[in-house]
Amino acid sequence: MMKQFLSVLVLAGMSSVGLSFCGFYVAKADTKLFNKTSQVILVRDGQKTTVTMSNDFKGNVKDFAMVIPVPEVLSQEDIRVVPSSLFSKLDAYSGPRLVEYHDQAPCYQPEVFYNYAESVTTRADFTSEKLTAMPTMQDYGVKIEAKYEIEEYDVLILSAKESTGLRDWLIQNDYKIPTAADEVLEPYIKNNMKFFVVKVNADKMAQMSGMNKVKKYIDDPNMDDVKDLRPLQITYNSDKFMLPIRLGMANSTGEQDMVVYAFTKEGRVESTNYRTTKIPSNKMIPEFVRQKFGSFYVDLFEKAHKEEKKEAIFLEYAWNVSPQFTGMKCDPCVGPPPIFTDLKEAGVDWALNRTNQASNDVFFTRLHLRYARETHPQDLLFHVTPNKEHFQGRYIITNAYKGDVTCEEGQKYCVKVVKRRVDELENLEDLTAWNASEYKPYVKEYYNKLDDPSLMNRVEADPQRNEGLPIFPTYSNPNDHIKRVLIIGLLSLLLIMLVLREIKREIVRRNFGAIYRI
Amino acid sequence: MIRNKIMKPSFKIGINISRWRVFKDARNYQILYLASFLIFGITQLNWEISNLQLIVVIGLALITQFLWLKWCEKPLHSLKSALITALGICLILKSASILTLALAVVIAISSKFLIRIKGKHLFNPANFGIIFSLLFIGDAWISPGQWGSNAVFLFTLSVLGGIVLHKVGRLETSVVFLGTLFLFEFGRMYLYQGWEMDVLLHKFSNGTLLLFSFFMITDPMTIPNAKKSRVIWAIILALLTFSLSNFMQIYTAPIWVLFFMTPLTVLLDKVYPAKKFEWLKKSIINN
Repeated sequence: MMKQFLSVLVLAGMSSVGLSFCGFYVAKADTKLFNKTSQVILVRDGQKTTVTMSNDFKGNVKDFAMVIPVPEVLSQEDIRVVPSSLFSKLDAYSGPRLVEYHDQAPCYQPEVFYNYAESVTTRADFTSEKLTAMPTMQDYGVKIEAKYEIEEYDVLILSAKESTGLRDWLIQNDYKIPTAADEVLEPYIKNNMKFFVVKVNADKMAQMSGMNKVKKYIDDPNMDDVKDLRPLQITYNSDKFMLPIRLGMANSTGEQDMVVYAFTKEGRVESTNYRTTKIPSNKMIPEFVRQKFGSFYVDLFEKAHKEEKKEAIFLEYAWNVSPQFTGMKCDPCVGPPPIFTDLKEAGVDWALNRTNQASNDVFFTRLHLRYARETHPQDLLFHVTPNKEHFQGRYIITNAYKGDVTCEEGQKYCVKVVKRRVDELENLEDLTAWNASEYKPYVKEYYNKLDDPSLMNRVEADPQRNEGLPIFPTYSNPNDHIKRVLIIGLLSLLLIMLVLREIKREIVRRNFGAIYRI
Repeated sequence: MIRNKIMKPSFKIGINISRWRVFKDARNYQILYLASFLIFGITQLNWEISNLQLIVVIGLALITQFLWLKWCEKPLHSLKSALITALGICLILKSASILTLALAVVIAISSKFLIRIKGKHLFNPANFGIIFSLLFIGDAWISPGQWGSNAVFLFTLSVLGGIVLHKVGRLETSVVFLGTLFLFEFGRMYLYQGWEMDVLLHKFSNGTLLLFSFFMITDPMTIPNAKKSRVIWAIILALLTFSLSNFMQIYTAPIWVLFFMTPLTVLLDKVYPAKKFEWLKKSIINN
């Protein structure tokens, strides 16, 4: 019995780390490549985890290689190559968005109406690297557990006994690894992790590139352009739901960004060992931000990151993306919501059930974090929560009416615009730390249109357009009535019992009061 | 009387502060601290708890406790305990549904009066409510990462927790629990796996763990009465927490362990009998 218990513990201990894309990139020769932003798709269903790592490697594919710790020896079916377009689709769909409203002519219809949307998504810039020659085995305590050819990649799964052996083996086989790498490898080896080592098969790659010519004539969206390396996807079973960011920090100085796209059945994904918080959202910002929304968001993130003492993880998007879900898929939609094929490619194998019916439980979370060795010493641990509340990073622009504002309503309108623009600039400074006083003309523009500046004191500003929109579908739980019955039932039962007891005592007192007095 | 006050310098009042009735009861400190943590969480850490949720949870806790106290014909001073339970649930349990939190708190308070052995309630009420919601309601969860690792705040939390425990006389439970857990994690992460010390410290600078150690496992009503048994109890709690979180990846391990340790409390109380804890001495109640 004891033995059984022990072996369970050991097994559980083994199936630790998932992997991250952030595995670590081993650079060969002196190519100075620096992984700045990485993108990962995580699909979690019970113990099953599918991880897809984006691969924006630019350069000679012969120089590419990566090492990722995995919890078990993966079989060939567990390793796939997926089209790069998957990441751009998810990024475009879930990126922070700019919403635009237009004020109507105040002199005719004094109402604000209507919206249409436009957006810019910040592009993630990520680079990866390097290559290796085919390994030759020596006595380093390193064992090749499996060897696969997966499309353009050659994959090895290694196990090692000690980190210096693994490091030496990698060096021997022409991987240039960071000097500190063995220290970082040690804990993973002790945790019985295997190492997933990837390089590119240049010949295969050349063959596949030939497909581009074919693609010119046959327009099949499934035919991927293989000029660039495509994302690798692996699936494994492990009770640990995590990303080993520490390995990625071995060859990178300073901060790195990571965007995680997670799909689950239950609801939002959040970190258990770092704080997950929402990115500031639904704020009114000045019109001129439209032209520089990209840099606006970069600075907003930078400021939010600093204010959270550089350690929080930001929620940028959370939405029910089930094919069956009938509500809005986003508001506004920046890119088309993921469809069946996207979900399937990402590894959401429950998007269609056995009877080919669309699933109603695919929840999407986008997390964005900026990490560094000092602020994030631990690997990222996640858990799935039943929180199905929708969220999006959304910023609002209101275009002022440019025409005639000379009528009385128009003058009042100018006051409102001035006040609104002041608020917008305050918000801008608050969100991005841009110096709002540089934008005085933005406020003055409508102030100058006022014939009587004293009107400023008599007209009130419109309320800020923030929390009211968008209207998130309220999530109602089918068990709500049971909870209500339980709460009210229990309390009223107690109350009734109390009242009954008092009545009974009162009766006793009246009837037998005389006896008590004696 | 008045003359006395005028003649005596005012610092006397400061010195005598602990003699005031308000400061005799450690629960007042607990309420004060838990409420300030909650305010800190909502204002500084952007927790998503609406005012309505707070009012409903605290209100229902008080109503439920009041009704039960009336039914059991007990003095009303233990309404404070209900407030502590409500604050504890608001601090730990998360749910998008107000009904889930409401039900959790009603169940939590009722468990105190329904599940008793020898005049002592078995489960820590907040713990019972939380476990009940996680198991049976479905749309509730715990966010172990919600505190971040803001050093100043965590330090304050521990110091304030220590003061309360010193008052209640249960400080050794927290110290033994945290110490044992730290020793084991140190052995595994630092000595065996070779992680750096800051990885280990980051693991321990978790607000949920500290809150649990100082405010939940120290509830004198639901942990063993004798000092010796409390030490044994805290060591077992730490060992189980260590195993569950490292080998089963249950990051909310202490809360589950505390729940399932209940039979042990009963057993330890039998083996090492001691006087049951009372929040207020009889004389103070009668004042």
